Amino acid sequence: MKKTRPVNSVSRVTELIFHIILIAFCLICVVPFIFVIIISFTSQQSIREIGYSFIPNEWSLEAYKYAFKMGQLLWRSYFNSFFITVVGTICTLIVTIMYSYALFRKDFKFRKFFTFFCFFTMIFGGGLAPTYVVCKTVLGLSNSYAAVIVPMLLNPFNLIVMRTFFQSSVPMELVDAAAIDGSGEYSTLFRIIVPVSKPGIATVGLLTALAYWNEWFIPKLYVSGDVKHMPLQYLLMEMQEKVDFLIKNSSLIGAEASSIAKSLPQNSLRMALVVLIVVPIAFAYPFFQRYIIAGLTIGSVKG
Amino acid sequence: MKKKLIASLLTAAMVLSMTACGNSGGDAAETQSTASTTPQTSDSGTDTASTSASDLEPVTLKMYLCGNDVTDDSKVMEELNKLLKEKINVTLEPIWETWGYGQEVVLSLQGGEPIDIYFTCSWTENEYNKFARDGYYVRLDDPNNNLIEKYASELWETLPEVLTQTGAAINGADGFGVYAVPGYKDIATQNCWDINVPLLEKYGYTLDDIRNTDYYGFGEILQTVKDGEGADFYPLLIEGAVLERMATNSIIVTGDSGTGNFMSYYLDPNDVSKETSYGIKLLNKYATDEFAKFAAQTREYYLKGFIDPACSNKDQANEMRTASQNLGSYLIGTQSYALGYELQASQERGFEVAMIPCTEPYVDTTSAQGAMMAISTASKNPERAMMFLNLLNTDPEVMTLMNYGVEGVHYNLTDDGCVEFTEERNNFKPWTNGVGNVTILPPTVEQGVGFWDTYKDYYGNAKEIPILGFAYDGSGVEAEMGSVANVVEEYLLPLCTGAVDPEEKLPEFLEKLEQNGVNTVLDDANAQLESFMKYKGN
Amino acid sequence: MKGKTKKTLLLTTMVLPGAIWFFLLRYVPMVGMALAFKDYKVYIKDPSFWNNLHFSKWVGFKNFKFLFSSTDTGKIIRNTVGYNVVWIILGLVLSVGMAIILNEITRKRVAKVYQTLMFFPYFLSWVVASYFVLAFLDPTRGLITSWQMKNGMDVINWYHEPKYWPVILTICNIWKNTGYSCILYLAAITGIDTTQYEAAAIDGATKWQQIKHITLPNLRPMICILLIMNVGKIFNADFGLFYSVPLNSGSLFPATQVIDTYVYRTLTATSNIGMSTAAGMFQQLVGFVCIMIANRVVSKIDADSSLF
Repeated sequence: MKKTRPVNSVSRVTELIFHIILIAFCLICVVPFIFVIIISFTSQQSIREIGYSFIPNEWSLEAYKYAFKMGQLLWRSYFNSFFITVVGTICTLIVTIMYSYALFRKDFKFRKFFTFFCFFTMIFGGGLAPTYVVCKTVLGLSNSYAAVIVPMLLNPFNLIVMRTFFQSSVPMELVDAAAIDGSGEYSTLFRIIVPVSKPGIATVGLLTALAYWNEWFIPKLYVSGDVKHMPLQYLLMEMQEKVDFLIKNSSLIGAEASSIAKSLPQNSLRMALVVLIVVPIAFAYPFFQRYIIAGLTIGSVKG
Repeated sequence: MKKKLIASLLTAAMVLSMTACGNSGGDAAETQSTASTTPQTSDSGTDTASTSASDLEPVTLKMYLCGNDVTDDSKVMEELNKLLKEKINVTLEPIWETWGYGQEVVLSLQGGEPIDIYFTCSWTENEYNKFARDGYYVRLDDPNNNLIEKYASELWETLPEVLTQTGAAINGADGFGVYAVPGYKDIATQNCWDINVPLLEKYGYTLDDIRNTDYYGFGEILQTVKDGEGADFYPLLIEGAVLERMATNSIIVTGDSGTGNFMSYYLDPNDVSKETSYGIKLLNKYATDEFAKFAAQTREYYLKGFIDPACSNKDQANEMRTASQNLGSYLIGTQSYALGYELQASQERGFEVAMIPCTEPYVDTTSAQGAMMAISTASKNPERAMMFLNLLNTDPEVMTLMNYGVEGVHYNLTDDGCVEFTEERNNFKPWTNGVGNVTILPPTVEQGVGFWDTYKDYYGNAKEIPILGFAYDGSGVEAEMGSVANVVEEYLLPLCTGAVDPEEKLPEFLEKLEQNGVNTVLDDANAQLESFMKYKGN
Repeated sequence: MKGKTKKTLLLTTMVLPGAIWFFLLRYVPMVGMALAFKDYKVYIKDPSFWNNLHFSKWVGFKNFKFLFSSTDTGKIIRNTVGYNVVWIILGLVLSVGMAIILNEITRKRVAKVYQTLMFFPYFLSWVVASYFVLAFLDPTRGLITSWQMKNGMDVINWYHEPKYWPVILTICNIWKNTGYSCILYLAAITGIDTTQYEAAAIDGATKWQQIKHITLPNLRPMICILLIMNVGKIFNADFGLFYSVPLNSGSLFPATQVIDTYVYRTLTATSNIGMSTAAGMFQQLVGFVCIMIANRVVSKIDADSSLF
């Protein structure tokens, strides 16, 4: 199995071409990231002199030193990001799986209604302000982890994708067979359907985790100025926003804007933070992927 | 035809509303003068505030501040709240927003959250004039419940009149009056040429050579330096929009910043308090001869390689500018000025920097409304908020705590009473000008003893421009404002930095402005200005 | 009969947590759509959001006016829809293609590495990507610029020449999104029962025939759903791409101004909540109509693949 080529695979030449295409595309995808890493290790002086470059005049650890000097703030926000992502993803997956499973069940009486109920929100929304008011004043979401997780708990897009996964990979007979065996609805879902649908769940889980990890706007609204709960991405965005704000208003704030602009974190620091943000989630990626690929092997074993 | 009719109707309505407000404004002014002539009321007001702190209900005040860099305020708040408890029985919960002060603040206001005090001014998203007009801020000198008279007369006496009478008094939801406590900061505007002195002298020029000419006469000096320093050296380091104002002596009209300031009012550079030949009138600045001349000159400088092409890319310009300033790789730059900035700049950049002003300092609406604190109409305790603001702006102890932190922790005092910061300061760095009256702070070591007296003198003597106090209310023509804003964005920066050819682009620009209703906005603004000046004259 | 009621009940309880969430966080706020037709002002007597909303004046369609008042409206709509149509088609072809290719790689570990790498751009925000683009196109020090200078060619001032930007933006968009949508398809391919392929191979079907007759039909539900949903966003644009990557340069507006950037730039001028709601509502309505049409078309072709 290891050395011999599996049956029913493309010819070696075709595969070589595929490899070339994929390598080329992957390079395009990775080079910018390498570029970001290079900038993060570039000295500020070099950026001033020759701009962003793949081969800087001078290397430096300055940005990382500065980032780690933020100490507590950095670690705290790191922890927050992890916590929000893990807890958020689990909650989202549970709710999403249950909802989309019911939509998948053709024999569910209210299937059409709840499909539309979900789909409608994908297109129509009341806008930012009313949602904000509901979350803040009606639900009292403010300065807590829940305040970051709850507003982005469900995504109708992922819900529908999940339903589609069920449709294309779970045969209805499986459900019927389970029902005949006397399995309850919940145990059918979690004991039989979920294990078969790992690739789909892993995919939606990945997308969800990414969304939580990358989110900065929701934290900005609901935990603004609250150092205890702010995630890393928000910290980075805040730096970016400072710069934008000063650019926009520099002539109005006056001389002070120039000196504030100087005290702002430099580009290399921003890039260092990008690296710090991307690395953990990039490492988490193979974890999800294992399930996607695992699904593949399950399939072949089955065959 | 129909459009015209609507426009004239709108203008009429505007004039009517302006005169109506003019009347109530008169009332407000009257009540105010009675307030200041009868000192008993104000005295008793402060007495009750100071003696009966324990009789007051304990309340918590929430406050949004802008531009801060605060990661740990625990020590400060402990000290501050002890002090506030004692004085006015208040616990303060500040929300230290950074420079990303924007949408969350607007949402908080629009959503009617119970936050008591908001930072506001002429340039943040919760813009003072607009939000006061829409009813978000409490009118502080309401004749029925004059909070200033009751709780802040002390403060009102310390602040210069140009702030309290002219800058802060506007046309709001509750009539003409004061809707926020103005901060006492650098209240005048002055634009300067920022000169790299060592480089200038290297080529045998002196500061007088700059002083004795203007933008249109820089050509020779720039050429000499460019030739000497090489092809990739760009001697003219500019911020496009600022450069335009400096070269043509136009100013920002408050209320128009969202449209990229297409409106202009021209100043007489020799005496800013006088009218120019244009009179008291707002113009479409891009249609003036001044602008055509400026754009042509800038294009010439650009083609000669005096201006870095990066200046014309909006998101790149600022970083490039900061980098070039620090490296000293420029000869002449543009800079809006604050007292003492050349010293600070020289120190930061490590070479001698000189600032040569284009005009004398002048007070316009934008600078007079540069930093303010408003009480939200959603606040449950506006009276206490006012008491707090009064204290913050008059009590050096409170002000210093809020700004510089705790003595012995965030700073130490030198023998002559100057502030020297410690490492701890990095965790607690509010934006000083955004907090309030900076003149009651102790000077920092860099500023030196007596700094604030010089400061008060300098800004106290600044002249008022004729249209001071005018803020344009574009709510009647928002659709036009929006389209104009987009047109201006498209052309402004490239034209002001010389990146495109004005002979081709300027006529195109003007035509497009006209098609998108620039004249409707302008007529509306001029009608408002006219009634404003009428009211001001009385 | 009893069993059926019980089943319905149980399935309803599964939907319930999600339904409550949708109701509170999506349906209740829809009351705010009224903002689009109101001149939102504070109700001073008792300011709260609902009171303000209730007592504000109705102004009809005034808040929508700005969307159509500009002389550029046609150009803006053309840009938004044009880019979307091209990108939906290109994106579909490329990501399905990539997914199929990836699936054919025999060494799964290598495929895994490819897949991980392809996903990288998705981690980088557009602001960060804009630095990367700038490194190539910087007017004085960019890689392309210096290469042009070295070879004595005319230097192009990229940020002031709109004609190049449709291509640049398209490359950026593909770069960022292919890896992402690829994994959806890949996961769907993974779910296909492999016995189908083996049976086909035994019958002597070529790889191409297998793709055409097994892979693509099996992918159809996913393709259709994603297509329908993308069509629903035809009037929305990826703000960061159009705003940050061209460095907000005015000269490029003919190629980079889309509805979202136009609305954004307008609202910094007026910060009017009614206008922003109106703009959103307009996009939603158009999106809704497009989705309904697309769904109709899809359900005519293949009833199972449609959204509902």
